[in-house]
Amino acid sequence: MEVNNKSIYYPPGGILIWIVIYLELLTFGMAMLALAYYGSQDRLNYHTDSQLLNKTIATLNTVLLLTSGFLVAKGVHFFKNKLFQKTSNYFLWAMLSGLGFLLLKLVEYYEKLQAGLDMNYSTFYMFYWLLTGFHWIHVLVGLVILGFVRRSVLQKQKKAALEDIEAGAAFWHLCDLIWLLLFPILYLLF
Amino acid sequence: MKKSLVYSYIGLVVLTLLVALLASGQLSKMIVTVIVVLSLLKFWLVGFEFMELKKAHSFWKVLLLGFGVLIGFLFVVLL
Repeated sequence: MEVNNKSIYYPPGGILIWIVIYLELLTFGMAMLALAYYGSQDRLNYHTDSQLLNKTIATLNTVLLLTSGFLVAKGVHFFKNKLFQKTSNYFLWAMLSGLGFLLLKLVEYYEKLQAGLDMNYSTFYMFYWLLTGFHWIHVLVGLVILGFVRRSVLQKQKKAALEDIEAGAAFWHLCDLIWLLLFPILYLLF
Repeated sequence: MKKSLVYSYIGLVVLTLLVALLASGQLSKMIVTVIVVLSLLKFWLVGFEFMELKKAHSFWKVLLLGFGVLIGFLFVVLL
């Protein structure tokens, strides 16, 4: 069935996933604004704490997540053109890229814990652990969803629903969107 | 379609490296504003190109644009 994405009720991926996306953005957005507010009250300490973060890993992680998002977008494009094997391959590469993000983040977490920069170290680090931790969980959930979507493409091929594929992809891109705001606010702006 | 995805991806990576480079120097209000604006451009590129929001009803587009403008404005004011 052809879906008219121009209708307010049928954005790409379906209305439900977009409601989830905006609620998630709102929640993370409020937490980031709280971080910015407290940071503006205690600029020097937030600057000192932020300088202890590894910007190289964060930049590399941003590129990894963007690469993954690009591969998923290409995968959806191939699915629409009925190139199912290509869709599956691109989703697999996207998942590996996402896995790279998770592992690199674990390396960063390990570094921080070794340096004693845990959640109780300062308010900045409380925000750091909560925001990046919840984001990490989102990426993990996104990986599982992508895995199911990929399996559905491989098994059902033509019968796999485009809306399901787009919804899975949209959730994955949500992880990109959140990270694209977390990256500057945590690593660059203090 | 294919090309617009590739161009968007290249743009996103270039912007990422650019903001990282900008942040490595002294952070003036001007630099903070530029970093926020460039980060929002990336945010919208992902939304409109990768998530295909460009094909959706204006309501969904305005929500994403409005969210970005609001949060970006507050970041600049607070920082």
